[in-house]
Amino acid sequence: MFSKSQAKAFFLVGTGLCAGAFILLTIDTLKRIPKQTYSQNLTDEAIRGKHLFETNNCAGCHTILGEGAYYAPELTKVYERRGESFIESMLRDPEAMYPGQRKMVQYKFTDSEIKDLIAFFKWIGEMDLNGFPAKPDVMRPAVQTEALPEHMVSETAKLVRPKVFDQMCTACHSVRSQGGTVGPALDGVGTRRDLAYIKQWLISPTSLKSDSKMPKMPLSDQDISELTSYLSQLKEVN
Amino acid sequence: MKYKSQKVAYWFFAACMGLLALQLVYGFIMGFAHMGFDGLHSIIPFNTARATHTNLLVMWLLTGFMGSAYYIIPEEAERELISVKWAYVQLIALLVVGVTAIIGFHFNWWEGRKFLEIPRPLDYLVVVDVLLFIFLIGGTIWRGKRYTTTSMVLFFGLLMTALLYLPGMIPTDHQTMDSYWRWWVVHLWVEGVWELIMGAILSFLLIKQTGIDREVIEKWLYIIVGFTFLSGILGTGHHYYYIGTPRYWLMIGGIFSALEPVAFLGMAIFAIAMAKKGGRTLDNKTALNWTIGCSVISFVGAGLLGFAHTIPQVNMYTHGTLVTAMHGHMAFWGAYAMLILAIITYTMPIMTGRKIQDSVMNAFAFWVSNIGMICMTVAFGIAGIAQVYMERKLGLDFLGVQKEIEVHFLGLVLAATLFTAGVIAFIWNFIRYGLPMDSKR
Repeated sequence: MFSKSQAKAFFLVGTGLCAGAFILLTIDTLKRIPKQTYSQNLTDEAIRGKHLFETNNCAGCHTILGEGAYYAPELTKVYERRGESFIESMLRDPEAMYPGQRKMVQYKFTDSEIKDLIAFFKWIGEMDLNGFPAKPDVMRPAVQTEALPEHMVSETAKLVRPKVFDQMCTACHSVRSQGGTVGPALDGVGTRRDLAYIKQWLISPTSLKSDSKMPKMPLSDQDISELTSYLSQLKEVN
Repeated sequence: MKYKSQKVAYWFFAACMGLLALQLVYGFIMGFAHMGFDGLHSIIPFNTARATHTNLLVMWLLTGFMGSAYYIIPEEAERELISVKWAYVQLIALLVVGVTAIIGFHFNWWEGRKFLEIPRPLDYLVVVDVLLFIFLIGGTIWRGKRYTTTSMVLFFGLLMTALLYLPGMIPTDHQTMDSYWRWWVVHLWVEGVWELIMGAILSFLLIKQTGIDREVIEKWLYIIVGFTFLSGILGTGHHYYYIGTPRYWLMIGGIFSALEPVAFLGMAIFAIAMAKKGGRTLDNKTALNWTIGCSVISFVGAGLLGFAHTIPQVNMYTHGTLVTAMHGHMAFWGAYAMLILAIITYTMPIMTGRKIQDSVMNAFAFWVSNIGMICMTVAFGIAGIAQVYMERKLGLDFLGVQKEIEVHFLGLVLAATLFTAGVIAFIWNFIRYGLPMDSKR
C-alpha cells in the first residue's frame, strides 16, 4: 500500500500546510477584528468592565458571545434587551430582582464598577457577530400575532407598549404568554386593578401589599405614567 | 515492569483517581443546582463549581498524560528515567499549584476565562512545572538507546501542549482577541496536540497488547495524526463563527470540522482492526476493552456529536446552550478519560504484580461507567435540544425555559449516579492493587 516514510511525509506536509494556512488566516483576522467589533468604541470603562467580568468569573454561569456556562442568561445583547437601569438594579441586588429564583452571587459592586460593566455590555452588544444570536424564527400560534384582538383594545386609546415594559417588566411578567414566569401574568390586569392602584403599585409594591416580593423598580415618573396607562388597558378577555 | 523508574507512573495515576473523584462531586453540585436544589449557593456558587469541575478534569488528564509518559518513555527509549526524584518533585508541585487554584476558586480568585480560570501568577508556575516535565522526558529520550515513532509522537504532543499554553497568556483588553487566543490553547489542545498524545498512547497499548509489528502500527499512527492535524488545525474555525471574527471562518470552520470525525473514525477502525489481527492471547481483557472503547466512544462523542454541533447553520442556534455540554461530556470521556483509564488498567497489574485486572469489579467499572456516560449524554442532549427550541427558536424567557427542562436534570443526575458507581468501582479496584513492587521482574 504505502510505506512508513510515505505516511510520515503525509503527516509532516499536511500539518505544515494547515499550520501555515492557519497562521496566515490569523494574521488577516487580527487585522479585521477592530473594524468588525468597533474597537474605537472600546472605552476605558468597557475595558475595566471586561476585567470585572473576568475577575468575578461571570462566564462561570452566563454566556457572552455564546461562550461560558449555561446556568444563567446569555449576555451578548443584554444591554439592548434589558436596558441600563435594569442591569444596574440587577447588579446592585441580584436576589431582589428575581425573588425565589435561581440565585446570582451578590458581588457588592460599587457605582463606578456597575457603570464599567454596563459600558462593557454596551460595547459587546454592538459587535458584528455574523448574525448571532439568531432571532427566534418559529411562527408563533396565530392568536399571538402582533396586533391585539379587538376586544382587548380599549375604545378610547390605542395600546402603545412602552419600551420600558419590554426591558424591565418582561423579565418576570408575561403578556399573552410572552415574557418571564417569575411573577404573575399581566393579561387582564386593567380589569382587576384600577389606574390609581397600578400607579401606586409601580411606585412602591410593598405600600399596597407588605409581603410582596416584587422589588421597587428604577422607574422615572414618565415610565410610571406610560406603564400605568398601558397596563390599565390590558382588559380581561371574555 | 522493565525499568524501576516506571513506577513513578503509579503515583501520577493515584493522583488522577483522587482528582477524578473530586471532579464528580462538583458535577453533582451543578446537576442539583440545575434542578433547583442550590443549597450550597452561599459556599459554592455555580461558577465556583463549574470552574472546579472543568479545571479538575484538565488537571487529572494532564497528570494522567504525564504518568503515561513516565511509564512509556523508559520502555520505548530503553533506559531508566534520568531522574526519579525530580519526577516526584514535579508531581507534588503540580498538585500544590492545582489545589491552590481550586481553593482560590472558592474565594473568588481566578481569571474567569472559560477552561483557563487559573489565576495568572499560578499560570507561570504551571509553565515551570511542565517545562521540568518536558526536560525529564526529553532528556530520557535523548540519552536513550532508541528513538521510536511512538515516543517521538508522544514527546512532540507533550511539548506542543506546553508551548500552546502560552498564547492563552497574551494580554489583551479586547473580548474577541481574548477568545481568539484562548481557543488556540483549548481547541489546539483537545482537537490537536492532545490527539498526538492519544494516538501515541493508543499505539503503545496496541503494540503491547496485540503483539502486532511496531512498524505496521506506527505507520498507521502517522496517517491518523496526519488526518487529525489536517482537520483539527483549521477546524479551530468553528470557535470563530460568532465572536466578532470575519465571516470566512463560517466556511473554513464548517468544512474542516466536518473532516474531524475522519481522524476519530480512523483511530477507531485502527484500534479494532489491530486488536482483531493480533494473535497474542490476552491476559488483560479489561485493558483492551478500555483501549477499543476509547477509540469508539471518542468517535461518537468527539467526532459525530462534535460534527453535528459545529455545522454553522446548527451552531447559530446551539452555540452557548446545553448542547455544548452534551458534546463536551462524551468527547472528553471517550477521547481522554477512557484513554487514561485504559493505560492505568494495562499498567497496574505489571506495576503491582497483582493480577486482578479481569475481576468482576473491573468489568463492572468499564460497562457501568460507559452506560452511565451514554445516558448522561442523552439527558444533556434532550435538555439542550429542548432549550434550543424554546429559547432560541420560539424566543421564550431564559428562566422559564430552565424550569421546563429541570426534569431532564433529574435524568442527568440519575445517569450520573450510574456513571459514578462505575468510577467508584474503578477506583476501588485501583486501591485493591496496592502499591507498586520495588524489584525488577
